[in-house]
Amino acid sequence: MEFKVSPLTKIISLSGFLALGFLLVILSCALFHNYYPLFDILIFLLAPIPNTLFSKSGSDNANFMSDTPSNVQDTGNFLTGVFVTSGIALPVVFYHCQLIGALSCVMSMIGGLIIYTSIVVFSWFFHSSWDQEEDTLFG
Amino acid sequence: MEADQNARLFRLPFKFPSFAGLRRISVYLSGVLYAVGFWLFLDAVIYSKHANASDVHVTFVDWIPFLCSTFGMLIVNSIEKNTLLQGALSGGGMSSFAGSDLDSSMAWQARVVLFFGFALLAGGLSGSIVVLIIKFLAKNYNTYPTVGMGVNNVLGNFFILMSCVLLWIAQNMEDEYSYSLTL
Repeated sequence: MEFKVSPLTKIISLSGFLALGFLLVILSCALFHNYYPLFDILIFLLAPIPNTLFSKSGSDNANFMSDTPSNVQDTGNFLTGVFVTSGIALPVVFYHCQLIGALSCVMSMIGGLIIYTSIVVFSWFFHSSWDQEEDTLFG
Repeated sequence: MEADQNARLFRLPFKFPSFAGLRRISVYLSGVLYAVGFWLFLDAVIYSKHANASDVHVTFVDWIPFLCSTFGMLIVNSIEKNTLLQGALSGGGMSSFAGSDLDSSMAWQARVVLFFGFALLAGGLSGSIVVLIIKFLAKNYNTYPTVGMGVNNVLGNFFILMSCVLLWIAQNMEDEYSYSLTL
């Protein structure tokens, strides 16, 4: 990176993105008085959990034995794939079953993807800084 | 710089993923396929409840193939692969140790359970085809929005089967890789 961004700027912009995602999903419900797309928020909030739960022990194991990911990490990856695809498929299925309209479907999908992306980018930004802190702490 | 250029045979603008990366990608893809199958089936169920204009509905009979496929996938992928490998190595030889006898019986049990798992998966797929034929096609529900419920059921079970196959291939690939590393 050539230009340095302060962590405060990162946090503020990411929280802005997160709020934009929530705004899109809630608007897709409230504009049409139809609160089915709220399930999309639930799925996309659940989606980052398996990787954060399973990747810690998996990386320990990988450092200890070999480079190949373990079965535990496979479970996390599999569940992440399931949750992200569910979050995209849920508005499409609701649209096909005529529970929500087309505009509501597109808005809730984009909003959910923004929520998930901001959570992933958040953990990605601050995971590396935590590693560096650990290095300075123990090295 | 030179070593880097020698290591790459083709001048492609992208790098091929490494082995662990490939394995991780295929596991992600397997999860994606499972979710696609699950939502295809759930689409049929929700459609039958909310937007159905015909008099045929999704009942518990339609759920049975999906449950079979899911249980089969759980069984197949929860078996320890090393047990099967050990059985293949020690079961063929005619050694007379007491330990190898235990090993071969364990491998035999693993094979039986694996057979049940694959039988459940295949039964799920063929059961969904049977439901499609008996419940929809044989009663002349041929037009699309109605027969779509049966077709979605078949497609969902097919995607779950593909997901299981992909997960199995990915995990066995890893076994061979680490095996050649330890050799």
